Amino acid sequence: MTDSLLSRRALMRYGAYGAGAAALAGVAAEWDRLTAADIPGRDDGSLVIATLGSAFNPEAQRALRDGFREVHPDIRIRINPVQAYDWSDFFSKILTQIAAGTAPDLVYVATEGVQLFAQRLGVPLDRWAKRDAAELRSYFADVHPSLVESMMYEGSLYQLPVEFNAADMYLNSRVLERAGADLPDDDWTHDDFTTLLRAMKRSNGDRFTPYFWTNRLWGGVVPWLFANGTNLLTESKAPGGDWLWNSFYPEAQRRGRGGGYRWTTPLADSDRVAEVYDYLSSLIQEDLCTRPEGGDGRNLVGVFSTGRVGVTPAGGFWAGGLHEAGMKPADYDVRYFPRRRTRRHQFGAAGYAMLRTSKLRDEAWEFIKYTARKDVMTQLFAANQTTPARRSMVDEARYRETGPAHWQVFYDTLDKIPTTGPIPAPPQVNEVEQLLIKHTGTALASPGAVRPALRRLQGDLEKAMEREV
Amino acid sequence: MTNTEIRPVGPEPARTRRNRRTGQTRKASESTAATTIRTRGTRLLAVLFLAPTVVGIVVFTVVPIAGSVVLSLFQWDVIDDPRWAGAANYREILTDSTVLVSFRNTLVFMVLAVALQLLIALVLAIAVNGRMPKWLRSVFRSAFFFPLVLSAASISVVMKYLFNQDFGPVNWLLGTVGIPSVPWLTSENGAMAAVVLAYVWQQFGFSFLLFVGGLNNIPKEVHEAASLDGASGVRKHLAITLPLLSPTLLVASVVGIINALQVFEQPYVLTAGGPGDSTRTVVMVIYETAFEQLRFGEASAVGVLLFALIMAVTALQFRLSRRYVHYQ
Repeated sequence: MTDSLLSRRALMRYGAYGAGAAALAGVAAEWDRLTAADIPGRDDGSLVIATLGSAFNPEAQRALRDGFREVHPDIRIRINPVQAYDWSDFFSKILTQIAAGTAPDLVYVATEGVQLFAQRLGVPLDRWAKRDAAELRSYFADVHPSLVESMMYEGSLYQLPVEFNAADMYLNSRVLERAGADLPDDDWTHDDFTTLLRAMKRSNGDRFTPYFWTNRLWGGVVPWLFANGTNLLTESKAPGGDWLWNSFYPEAQRRGRGGGYRWTTPLADSDRVAEVYDYLSSLIQEDLCTRPEGGDGRNLVGVFSTGRVGVTPAGGFWAGGLHEAGMKPADYDVRYFPRRRTRRHQFGAAGYAMLRTSKLRDEAWEFIKYTARKDVMTQLFAANQTTPARRSMVDEARYRETGPAHWQVFYDTLDKIPTTGPIPAPPQVNEVEQLLIKHTGTALASPGAVRPALRRLQGDLEKAMEREV
Repeated sequence: MTNTEIRPVGPEPARTRRNRRTGQTRKASESTAATTIRTRGTRLLAVLFLAPTVVGIVVFTVVPIAGSVVLSLFQWDVIDDPRWAGAANYREILTDSTVLVSFRNTLVFMVLAVALQLLIALVLAIAVNGRMPKWLRSVFRSAFFFPLVLSAASISVVMKYLFNQDFGPVNWLLGTVGIPSVPWLTSENGAMAAVVLAYVWQQFGFSFLLFVGGLNNIPKEVHEAASLDGASGVRKHLAITLPLLSPTLLVASVVGIINALQVFEQPYVLTAGGPGDSTRTVVMVIYETAFEQLRFGEASAVGVLLFALIMAVTALQFRLSRRYVHYQ
């Protein structure tokens, strides 16, 4: 046995020192604390723009920065490309920057985050849009009102959409050929779709998966819900927004428009939703379809371009991806999503949101307007990594090198199917997405699992929607 | 002249000293080391050497832990100021099925991963410690340790490809010997197995190195004596190697369990916690609650519970070690 190294008296003394240090720390905590903004060079008066790192390549970012400086030499800008796995990850990183005291002035936000940012962090663009109406008229004339409406929240406009992607169906030409099938009609149905998958399976062997999809909010189960005339959450429109529709859109296009979408009561345990899950479950049981968690978008380009997958839903962004993977324009094509009760498609759009913390709001607005210019968007989206929000940019010249032959489908999904709408993305979107992914996995895990999983999804969604964000 | 006392080596006179608390007396030689350290200069030196570590622990461990405990009593979403919540966050998480399932998953994962990790590391360490050329031993040591220096996230991305049910090489290999496709990442048991395998593959190198060191410390004479007595190889490992390696086993299991209870990257990248909640771990829930749902108070409360769990499990291990760990 050894003696204690500290006597009781010494312990008391060190305890007193500790208490003193804690008191000092407490006093210090009351002083102005250092934040990340205090790092030299961080707060140099520049307009800081946070983009999703992978959204624009470095060359495009340079063009964006240099081009803006030429037009506005008095505004210093700094582009902050944030690397993230998906939009949810991106928003988390932006929120961390805000908590660290280095909030950007502008953030590139997709449909998934429009309402979250609008409700908690965003500045409505109404007064600037009204002020510069003459300048913006050509932009709105070139952009489908559905895209603009998806960027509105409770009657106000929060972003000018610069890109979008609707969930259309990509088909591998080589696989179609082996199956002895033609490219389906524009108006093909679920039944046609199933028949095509069976033909592909028969002619392409065991190690082939006819239909591949990922378990996400965009492009997962949602386009199937839309095609069946239902949604994950009850959909309605907020009042207001007339100031925008009356100023920029003709009567025919502004009919039925409102002040942005509202997604409220969950519909997960409804019959129509169950029908969709039953259908997807049957495809999995028949080995016509991968399980939703089977891979992610990055795997998908590889397996599609090498002919191990026949069909998959994707937006215009895949034209660039497949081209990079070595596919020729004739190697694949695109069609509308197969109809069921409706032909309604889902889309997601993106643009820049201005943050309330910004002290450079006028400058930020100038940047928003700049990025909505056709010449700027042409530079940014040269590689077909997305579908430009401007209709006039979706033309034959753009897709000549990358394909697909039926590139018109991308914008026609909006123009010819007027019911096409944004994915359900309320302010609670992160939790909604997480729950959808989780319970979709459970629902499709085994036959008979659909309804119990949907009941749990319904309960969890109700809880999430009641929670204040 | 320094304050440090230098005492002659060799037997000391049988002086006695009285313990003020118990009144018992004992030989002064028993407290020689402590008495020596008590001298002022040595103590100052000790404080100086320990200070950086203590400051590091206080700033980077104690303060964040205390911060989490405080934050667990507030509602905070990063954007607005924190609001007092009291025990509400704890009530919320203790009735949340996802949180409870995540604790169950984490414990299941811990048991499977640590057991497998220790077993593989021990068997390989004994094998590598056997007769083989020195260069080959170095190759094996490097190969087994190599995964540990790789990023868990990048390993998980590769594993995700390997375990893919439709296109992964693992199922392809199984298919070549007639085994049907295994739903590694898409069934509850398969997903947990894949996560455990990915984790163990990366982590066992650490235990392996500890065991190699521990085995080298076992005197060869003991094994030789056992051989002379006619003990078989298995008998020697069970009766000699394992008991003498028990202190190393304790360290490896303590570190292994603490790490396993904090697993995040492998399930996050490989399965995103699915299918359903079957591979959702506690740290994943903390991350999702805090950074995706902006409920930092509840996330902190889950963190505090995890901290308590780790402390309890570690304390239990040390308690049990009194009975099962043999020091030479």
